[in-house]
Amino acid sequence: MNLKKQFMDGLLYQNPVLVQVLGMCSTMAITTSFFNGLGMGLAVTVILTLSNIIISAIRKIVPDKIRIAMFIVVIAGFVTMVDLFLQAFVPALAESLGVFIPLIVVNCIILGRAEAFSYKNGVVASFFDGVFQGIGYTLVLLAMCIIRELLGAGTFGGGLLAGGKGIQIIPSQFPAGMLTLPVGGFLVLGCLIAAMQWALSKSKK
Amino acid sequence: MSNEVKTKEKVDMDPKYIIKLTVTLFVTCVIVAGLLGLVNSVTEGPIAEKNKTKTAAAIQEVLPEMEGSPAVVELTDEMTAAASGAGATITEAYEAQAGGSVIGYALKIVASGSQGNIEMMVGVDAEGAVTGVSIVKNSETSGIGSKVMSNENGVLDQFIGKSAADGTLSVGKNVDAISGATVSSRGVTTGVNAALAVAGVMG
Repeated sequence: MNLKKQFMDGLLYQNPVLVQVLGMCSTMAITTSFFNGLGMGLAVTVILTLSNIIISAIRKIVPDKIRIAMFIVVIAGFVTMVDLFLQAFVPALAESLGVFIPLIVVNCIILGRAEAFSYKNGVVASFFDGVFQGIGYTLVLLAMCIIRELLGAGTFGGGLLAGGKGIQIIPSQFPAGMLTLPVGGFLVLGCLIAAMQWALSKSKK
Repeated sequence: MSNEVKTKEKVDMDPKYIIKLTVTLFVTCVIVAGLLGLVNSVTEGPIAEKNKTKTAAAIQEVLPEMEGSPAVVELTDEMTAAASGAGATITEAYEAQAGGSVIGYALKIVASGSQGNIEMMVGVDAEGAVTGVSIVKNSETSGIGSKVMSNENGVLDQFIGKSAADGTLSVGKNVDAISGATVSSRGVTTGVNAALAVAGVMG
Protein backbone atom coordinates (compact mmCIF):
# COMPACT_ATOMS: atom_id res chain seq x y z
CA MET A 1 0.00 0.00 0.00
CA ASN A 2 1.37 3.33 -1.01
CA LEU A 3 -0.75 6.19 0.28
CA LYS A 4 1.16 8.98 -1.39
CA LYS A 5 1.03 7.28 -4.78
CA GLN A 6 -2.70 6.59 -4.41
CA PHE A 7 -3.28 10.22 -3.47
CA MET A 8 -1.34 11.56 -6.44
CA ASP A 9 -3.01 9.01 -8.75
CA GLY A 10 -6.49 10.05 -7.67
CA LEU A 11 -5.84 13.75 -8.02
CA LEU A 12 -3.45 13.85 -10.97
CA TYR A 13 -1.85 10.89 -12.72
CA GLN A 14 -4.95 8.67 -12.74
CA ASN A 15 -7.56 11.39 -12.31
CA PRO A 16 -10.91 9.67 -13.01
CA VAL A 17 -12.24 12.43 -15.26
CA LEU A 18 -9.22 14.03 -16.90
CA VAL A 19 -7.00 10.96 -17.39
CA GLN A 20 -9.22 7.88 -17.21
CA VAL A 21 -12.03 9.86 -18.92
CA LEU A 22 -14.74 8.14 -16.86
CA GLY A 23 -18.09 9.50 -15.73
CA MET A 24 -18.43 11.91 -18.62
CA CYS A 25 -22.23 12.09 -18.59
CA SER A 26 -22.57 13.47 -15.09
CA THR A 27 -19.46 15.62 -15.50
CA MET A 28 -20.96 17.52 -18.39
CA ALA A 29 -24.58 17.50 -17.32
CA ILE A 30 -24.50 18.79 -13.77
CA THR A 31 -21.54 21.18 -13.74
CA THR A 32 -23.58 24.33 -14.17
CA SER A 33 -23.52 25.60 -10.61
CA PHE A 34 -21.13 25.29 -7.68
CA PHE A 35 -23.74 23.65 -5.43
CA ASN A 36 -24.48 20.93 -8.00
CA GLY A 37 -20.82 20.13 -8.50
CA LEU A 38 -20.09 19.93 -4.79
CA GLY A 39 -23.19 17.83 -4.08
CA MET A 40 -22.56 15.44 -6.95
CA GLY A 41 -18.87 15.15 -6.09
CA LEU A 42 -19.62 14.31 -2.46
CA ALA A 43 -22.38 11.85 -3.39
CA VAL A 44 -20.05 10.02 -5.77
CA THR A 45 -17.20 10.06 -3.23
CA VAL A 46 -19.39 8.54 -0.53
CA ILE A 47 -20.83 5.86 -2.82
CA LEU A 48 -17.44 5.10 -4.37
CA THR A 49 -15.79 4.71 -0.96
CA LEU A 50 -18.57 2.51 0.45
CA SER A 51 -18.77 0.29 -2.62
CA ASN A 52 -14.97 0.01 -2.74
CA ILE A 53 -14.90 -1.16 0.88
CA ILE A 54 -17.64 -3.74 0.43
CA ILE A 55 -16.37 -5.05 -2.89
CA SER A 56 -12.86 -5.37 -1.49
CA ALA A 57 -14.23 -7.16 1.59
CA ILE A 58 -16.21 -9.71 -0.42
CA ARG A 59 -13.71 -10.09 -3.26
CA LYS A 60 -12.54 -13.51 -2.13
CA ILE A 61 -16.02 -15.04 -2.08
CA VAL A 62 -17.26 -13.45 -5.31
CA PRO A 63 -17.11 -15.98 -8.17
CA ASP A 64 -15.20 -14.49 -11.07
CA LYS A 65 -17.95 -15.13 -13.62
CA ILE A 66 -20.62 -13.06 -11.89
CA ARG A 67 -18.44 -10.34 -10.38
CA ILE A 68 -19.87 -7.56 -12.57
CA ALA A 69 -23.42 -8.47 -11.56
CA MET A 70 -22.39 -8.50 -7.90
CA PHE A 71 -20.66 -5.13 -8.23
CA ILE A 72 -23.76 -3.60 -9.78
CA VAL A 73 -26.02 -4.96 -7.02
CA VAL A 74 -23.74 -3.52 -4.33
CA ILE A 75 -23.38 -0.16 -6.13
CA ALA A 76 -27.10 0.11 -6.88
CA GLY A 77 -27.83 -0.58 -3.22
CA PHE A 78 -25.61 2.25 -2.02
CA VAL A 79 -26.86 4.65 -4.68
CA THR A 80 -30.48 4.02 -3.70
CA MET A 81 -29.63 4.57 -0.04
CA VAL A 82 -27.86 7.85 -0.75
CA ASP A 83 -30.74 8.89 -3.01
CA LEU A 84 -33.30 8.22 -0.27
CA PHE A 85 -31.24 10.05 2.35
CA LEU A 86 -30.81 13.07 0.08
CA GLN A 87 -34.53 13.16 -0.68
CA ALA A 88 -35.36 12.97 3.01
CA PHE A 89 -32.76 15.33 4.45
CA VAL A 90 -31.32 17.50 1.64
CA PRO A 91 -34.33 17.85 -0.71
CA ALA A 92 -32.91 20.96 -2.43
CA LEU A 93 -29.89 19.02 -3.65
CA ALA A 94 -31.95 15.95 -4.57
CA GLU A 95 -34.16 18.16 -6.69
CA SER A 96 -31.29 20.00 -8.31
CA LEU A 97 -29.40 16.85 -9.29
CA GLY A 98 -32.58 15.03 -10.26
CA VAL A 99 -32.02 11.89 -12.27
CA PHE A 100 -28.23 12.08 -12.02
CA ILE A 101 -28.23 10.64 -8.50
CA PRO A 102 -29.88 7.35 -9.57
CA LEU A 103 -27.64 7.41 -12.63
CA ILE A 104 -24.55 7.13 -10.40
CA VAL A 105 -25.31 3.38 -10.57
CA VAL A 106 -23.99 3.33 -14.10
CA ASN A 107 -21.27 5.91 -13.50
CA CYS A 108 -18.19 4.23 -14.93
CA ILE A 109 -15.95 5.63 -12.19
CA ILE A 110 -17.49 3.39 -9.57
CA LEU A 111 -17.64 0.20 -11.64
CA GLY A 112 -14.23 1.05 -13.08
CA ARG A 113 -12.59 1.35 -9.66
CA ALA A 114 -14.35 -1.81 -8.47
CA GLU A 115 -12.93 -3.75 -11.40
CA ALA A 116 -9.54 -2.07 -11.55
CA PHE A 117 -8.75 -1.61 -7.89
CA SER A 118 -10.94 -2.87 -5.07
CA TYR A 119 -11.42 -6.35 -6.60
CA LYS A 120 -7.65 -6.80 -6.40
CA ASN A 121 -6.67 -4.89 -3.26
CA GLY A 122 -7.28 -4.90 0.47
CA VAL A 123 -10.05 -3.08 2.31
CA VAL A 124 -7.92 -0.23 3.68
CA ALA A 125 -6.25 0.48 0.35
CA SER A 126 -9.65 0.35 -1.36
CA PHE A 127 -11.07 2.80 1.16
CA PHE A 128 -8.32 5.32 0.39
CA ASP A 129 -8.69 4.67 -3.32
CA GLY A 130 -12.37 5.57 -3.04
CA VAL A 131 -11.66 8.72 -1.07
CA PHE A 132 -8.84 9.94 -3.34
CA GLN A 133 -10.55 9.09 -6.62
CA GLY A 134 -13.69 10.74 -5.26
CA ILE A 135 -11.76 13.87 -4.37
CA GLY A 136 -10.17 13.87 -7.82
CA TYR A 137 -13.63 13.66 -9.39
CA THR A 138 -15.01 16.37 -7.10
CA LEU A 139 -12.14 18.76 -7.83
CA VAL A 140 -12.62 18.44 -11.60
CA LEU A 141 -16.37 18.95 -11.20
CA LEU A 142 -15.74 22.06 -9.12
CA ALA A 143 -13.28 23.42 -11.67
CA MET A 144 -15.82 22.86 -14.44
CA CYS A 145 -18.58 24.42 -12.35
CA ILE A 146 -16.54 27.50 -11.52
CA ILE A 147 -15.46 28.06 -15.14
CA ARG A 148 -18.88 27.40 -16.67
CA GLU A 149 -20.76 29.37 -14.06
CA LEU A 150 -18.41 32.34 -14.22
CA LEU A 151 -18.24 32.56 -18.01
CA GLY A 152 -21.78 31.34 -18.66
CA ALA A 153 -23.77 33.17 -16.02
CA GLY A 154 -21.21 35.56 -14.52
CA THR A 155 -21.73 34.22 -11.00
CA PHE A 156 -19.75 32.34 -8.37
CA GLY A 157 -21.13 29.87 -5.84
CA GLY A 158 -24.56 29.41 -7.46
CA GLY A 159 -27.05 27.47 -5.35
CA LEU A 160 -25.04 28.13 -2.22
CA LEU A 161 -23.98 31.76 -1.76
CA ALA A 162 -26.08 34.93 -1.80
CA GLY A 163 -29.40 33.17 -1.31
CA GLY A 164 -28.86 30.59 -4.03
CA LYS A 165 -28.25 33.04 -6.85
CA GLY A 166 -24.49 33.19 -6.43
CA ILE A 167 -22.33 36.30 -6.31
CA GLN A 168 -22.51 38.24 -9.55
CA ILE A 169 -18.93 38.86 -10.68
CA ILE A 170 -19.41 39.65 -14.35
CA PRO A 171 -22.38 41.96 -15.10
CA SER A 172 -25.24 39.82 -16.40
CA GLN A 173 -25.25 41.22 -19.96
CA PHE A 174 -21.75 39.91 -20.80
CA PRO A 175 -21.58 36.16 -20.02
CA ALA A 176 -21.90 33.62 -22.85
CA GLY A 177 -24.97 31.59 -21.83
CA MET A 178 -23.86 28.89 -24.24
CA LEU A 179 -21.31 27.68 -21.70
CA THR A 180 -24.06 26.51 -19.35
CA LEU A 181 -25.58 24.45 -22.19
CA PRO A 182 -24.23 20.94 -22.97
CA VAL A 183 -21.99 22.29 -25.73
CA GLY A 184 -20.23 24.43 -23.13
CA GLY A 185 -19.63 21.29 -21.08
CA PHE A 186 -17.83 19.67 -24.00
CA LEU A 187 -15.74 22.79 -24.65
CA VAL A 188 -14.66 23.28 -21.04
CA LEU A 189 -13.97 19.58 -20.50
CA GLY A 190 -11.93 19.42 -23.72
CA CYS A 191 -9.82 22.36 -22.62
CA LEU A 192 -9.29 20.89 -19.16
CA ILE A 193 -8.25 17.48 -20.53
CA ALA A 194 -5.86 19.18 -22.97
CA ALA A 195 -4.34 21.27 -20.17
CA MET A 196 -4.00 18.17 -17.99
CA GLN A 197 -2.28 16.15 -20.72
CA TRP A 198 0.07 19.03 -21.43
CA ALA A 199 0.97 19.35 -17.75
CA LEU A 200 1.44 15.59 -17.36
CA SER A 201 3.66 15.27 -20.43
CA LYS A 202 5.68 18.23 -19.26
CA SER A 203 6.20 16.79 -15.79
CA LYS A 204 7.39 13.51 -17.31
CA LYS A 205 10.23 15.30 -19.10
CA MET B 1 -15.86 -13.75 -27.64
CA SER B 2 -13.42 -16.44 -26.62
CA ASN B 3 -14.24 -15.60 -23.03
CA GLU B 4 -17.94 -16.28 -23.61
CA VAL B 5 -17.25 -19.66 -25.13
CA LYS B 6 -15.10 -20.62 -22.18
CA THR B 7 -17.82 -19.58 -19.73
CA LYS B 8 -20.35 -21.70 -21.57
CA GLU B 9 -18.15 -24.78 -21.49
CA LYS B 10 -17.52 -24.49 -17.81
CA VAL B 11 -21.20 -23.92 -17.04
CA ASP B 12 -22.21 -26.87 -19.21
CA MET B 13 -19.73 -29.07 -17.46
CA ASP B 14 -20.47 -28.32 -13.88
CA PRO B 15 -24.00 -27.97 -12.49
CA LYS B 16 -22.59 -27.36 -9.02
CA TYR B 17 -20.88 -24.25 -10.35
CA ILE B 18 -24.17 -22.92 -11.72
CA ILE B 19 -25.83 -23.45 -8.37
CA LYS B 20 -22.98 -21.70 -6.58
CA LEU B 21 -23.28 -18.68 -8.87
CA THR B 22 -27.05 -18.52 -8.49
CA VAL B 23 -26.99 -18.84 -4.72
CA THR B 24 -24.24 -16.23 -4.29
CA LEU B 25 -26.05 -13.70 -6.43
CA PHE B 26 -29.39 -14.47 -4.80
CA VAL B 27 -28.03 -14.07 -1.29
CA THR B 28 -26.36 -10.77 -2.21
CA CYS B 29 -29.61 -9.45 -3.65
CA VAL B 30 -31.55 -10.50 -0.56
CA ILE B 31 -29.06 -8.77 1.76
CA VAL B 32 -29.05 -5.56 -0.31
CA ALA B 33 -32.86 -5.58 -0.56
CA GLY B 34 -33.11 -6.02 3.20
CA LEU B 35 -30.79 -3.09 3.84
CA LEU B 36 -32.74 -0.94 1.39
CA GLY B 37 -35.94 -1.79 3.23
CA LEU B 38 -34.29 -0.67 6.44
CA VAL B 39 -33.14 2.64 4.95
CA ASN B 40 -36.54 3.15 3.37
CA SER B 41 -38.29 2.74 6.73
CA VAL B 42 -36.08 5.54 8.12
CA THR B 43 -36.48 7.94 5.20
CA GLU B 44 -40.11 7.19 4.27
CA GLY B 45 -41.56 9.44 6.97
CA PRO B 46 -39.48 12.56 6.27
CA ILE B 47 -39.98 12.17 2.49
CA ALA B 48 -43.78 11.84 2.82
CA GLU B 49 -43.82 14.80 5.23
CA LYS B 50 -41.79 16.94 2.79
CA ASN B 51 -44.08 16.02 -0.10
CA LYS B 52 -47.15 16.95 1.94
CA THR B 53 -45.77 20.35 2.94
CA LYS B 54 -44.75 20.89 -0.64
CA THR B 55 -48.25 20.11 -1.92
CA ALA B 56 -49.79 22.58 0.52
CA ALA B 57 -47.24 25.24 -0.43
CA ALA B 58 -47.81 24.60 -4.13
CA ILE B 59 -51.57 25.06 -3.75
CA GLN B 60 -51.06 28.29 -1.83
CA GLU B 61 -48.68 29.46 -4.54
CA VAL B 62 -51.04 28.88 -7.45
CA LEU B 63 -54.08 30.18 -5.59
CA PRO B 64 -52.65 32.95 -3.40
CA GLU B 65 -56.07 34.27 -2.41
CA MET B 66 -57.06 30.98 -0.81
CA GLU B 67 -58.13 31.13 2.82
CA GLY B 68 -57.87 28.21 5.19
CA SER B 69 -56.89 24.80 3.96
CA PRO B 70 -57.95 23.37 0.60
CA ALA B 71 -60.65 20.70 0.36
CA VAL B 72 -59.89 17.50 -1.51
CA VAL B 73 -62.14 16.92 -4.51
CA GLU B 74 -62.87 13.33 -5.51
CA LEU B 75 -61.75 12.63 -9.06
CA THR B 76 -64.59 11.70 -11.40
CA ASP B 77 -64.33 9.67 -14.60
CA GLU B 78 -65.14 12.84 -16.52
CA MET B 79 -62.18 14.70 -15.03
CA THR B 80 -59.81 11.80 -15.66
CA ALA B 81 -61.01 11.52 -19.25
CA ALA B 82 -60.65 15.27 -19.82
CA ALA B 83 -57.03 15.18 -18.59
CA SER B 84 -56.04 12.14 -20.62
CA GLY B 85 -57.74 13.67 -23.68
CA ALA B 86 -55.23 16.52 -23.38
CA GLY B 87 -52.31 14.11 -23.04
CA ALA B 88 -51.72 14.19 -19.28
CA THR B 89 -52.96 12.54 -16.09
CA ILE B 90 -54.70 14.16 -13.14
CA THR B 91 -53.79 12.69 -9.77
CA GLU B 92 -55.32 15.06 -7.24
CA ALA B 93 -57.79 17.94 -7.18
CA TYR B 94 -58.43 20.53 -4.49
CA GLU B 95 -61.06 23.21 -4.06
CA ALA B 96 -60.00 26.53 -2.61
CA GLN B 97 -62.32 28.88 -0.80
CA ALA B 98 -62.16 32.50 0.25
CA GLY B 99 -64.88 34.48 1.97
CA GLY B 100 -67.23 31.50 1.96
CA SER B 101 -67.28 30.94 -1.79
CA VAL B 102 -65.25 28.78 -4.14
CA ILE B 103 -62.53 30.86 -5.78
CA GLY B 104 -60.92 28.14 -7.82
CA TYR B 105 -59.35 24.74 -8.08
CA ALA B 106 -55.83 23.44 -7.70
CA LEU B 107 -55.23 20.45 -9.94
CA LYS B 108 -52.27 18.16 -9.63
CA ILE B 109 -51.33 17.05 -13.11
CA VAL B 110 -48.67 14.61 -14.29
CA ALA B 111 -47.31 15.20 -17.80
CA SER B 112 -44.25 13.71 -19.43
CA GLY B 113 -41.15 15.87 -19.74
CA SER B 114 -37.80 15.04 -21.25
CA GLN B 115 -36.66 12.92 -18.29
CA GLY B 116 -39.69 11.12 -16.95
CA ASN B 117 -42.76 12.74 -15.52
CA ILE B 118 -43.33 16.31 -14.40
CA GLU B 119 -45.74 16.69 -11.52
CA MET B 120 -47.28 20.13 -11.36
CA MET B 121 -49.96 22.01 -9.49
CA VAL B 122 -52.10 24.21 -11.72
CA GLY B 123 -54.46 26.77 -10.22
CA VAL B 124 -57.60 27.63 -12.17
CA ASP B 125 -60.01 30.29 -10.92
CA ALA B 126 -63.80 30.11 -10.98
CA GLU B 127 -63.87 31.84 -14.39
CA GLY B 128 -61.64 29.13 -15.87
CA ALA B 129 -58.44 31.17 -16.17
CA VAL B 130 -55.07 29.90 -14.98
CA THR B 131 -53.93 31.56 -11.75
CA GLY B 132 -50.54 29.92 -11.51
CA VAL B 133 -48.37 26.91 -12.24
CA SER B 134 -46.05 25.35 -9.70
CA ILE B 135 -43.84 22.32 -10.24
CA VAL B 136 -44.10 19.76 -7.46
CA LYS B 137 -41.75 17.07 -8.67
CA ASN B 138 -39.59 16.56 -11.74
CA SER B 139 -36.49 14.80 -13.01
CA GLU B 140 -35.69 17.26 -15.78
CA THR B 141 -32.07 17.67 -16.78
CA SER B 142 -30.23 19.75 -14.24
CA GLY B 143 -29.26 23.12 -15.67
CA ILE B 144 -31.43 22.71 -18.79
CA GLY B 145 -34.98 21.51 -18.22
CA SER B 146 -34.64 22.53 -14.59
CA LYS B 147 -34.68 26.15 -15.77
CA VAL B 148 -38.29 25.69 -16.82
CA MET B 149 -39.06 23.97 -13.53
CA SER B 150 -37.61 26.82 -11.48
CA ASN B 151 -39.59 29.41 -13.44
CA GLU B 152 -36.51 31.09 -14.93
CA ASN B 153 -37.38 34.22 -16.95
CA GLY B 154 -40.98 33.77 -15.76
CA VAL B 155 -41.54 30.88 -18.13
CA LEU B 156 -44.21 29.46 -15.84
CA ASP B 157 -45.83 32.86 -15.24
CA GLN B 158 -46.75 33.20 -18.91
CA PHE B 159 -49.59 30.72 -18.35
CA ILE B 160 -51.31 33.02 -15.85
CA GLY B 161 -54.55 34.38 -17.27
CA LYS B 162 -54.75 31.83 -20.08
CA SER B 163 -58.11 30.11 -20.34
CA ALA B 164 -59.95 27.67 -22.57
CA ALA B 165 -60.87 30.69 -24.72
CA ASP B 166 -57.23 30.93 -25.86
CA GLY B 167 -57.58 27.54 -27.55
CA THR B 168 -55.09 24.73 -27.10
CA LEU B 169 -51.79 26.11 -25.86
CA SER B 170 -48.72 25.02 -27.74
CA VAL B 171 -45.03 25.87 -27.57
CA GLY B 172 -43.97 28.20 -30.35
CA LYS B 173 -47.53 29.34 -31.05
CA ASN B 174 -48.78 30.99 -27.90
CA VAL B 175 -46.22 29.74 -25.37
CA ASP B 176 -42.52 30.62 -25.30
CA ALA B 177 -40.02 27.88 -24.51
CA ILE B 178 -36.62 28.21 -22.85
CA SER B 179 -33.73 27.68 -25.24
CA GLY B 180 -32.57 24.08 -25.05
CA ALA B 181 -35.52 23.01 -22.94
CA THR B 182 -38.30 22.73 -25.52
CA VAL B 183 -39.40 19.28 -24.37
CA SER B 184 -39.67 20.37 -20.75
CA SER B 185 -41.61 23.48 -21.81
CA ARG B 186 -43.93 21.29 -23.88
CA GLY B 187 -44.51 19.00 -20.91
CA VAL B 188 -45.67 21.90 -18.76
CA THR B 189 -47.83 23.24 -21.59
CA THR B 190 -49.53 19.84 -21.96
CA GLY B 191 -50.16 19.86 -18.22
CA VAL B 192 -51.77 23.31 -18.33
CA ASN B 193 -53.96 22.26 -21.26
CA ALA B 194 -55.08 19.22 -19.27
CA ALA B 195 -55.82 21.38 -16.22
CA LEU B 196 -57.96 23.72 -18.31
CA ALA B 197 -59.82 20.73 -19.76
CA VAL B 198 -60.45 19.31 -16.29
CA ALA B 199 -61.58 22.69 -14.94
CA GLY B 200 -63.95 22.85 -17.91
CA VAL B 201 -65.79 19.67 -16.89
CA MET B 202 -65.76 20.64 -13.20
CA GLY B 203 -67.90 23.63 -14.11
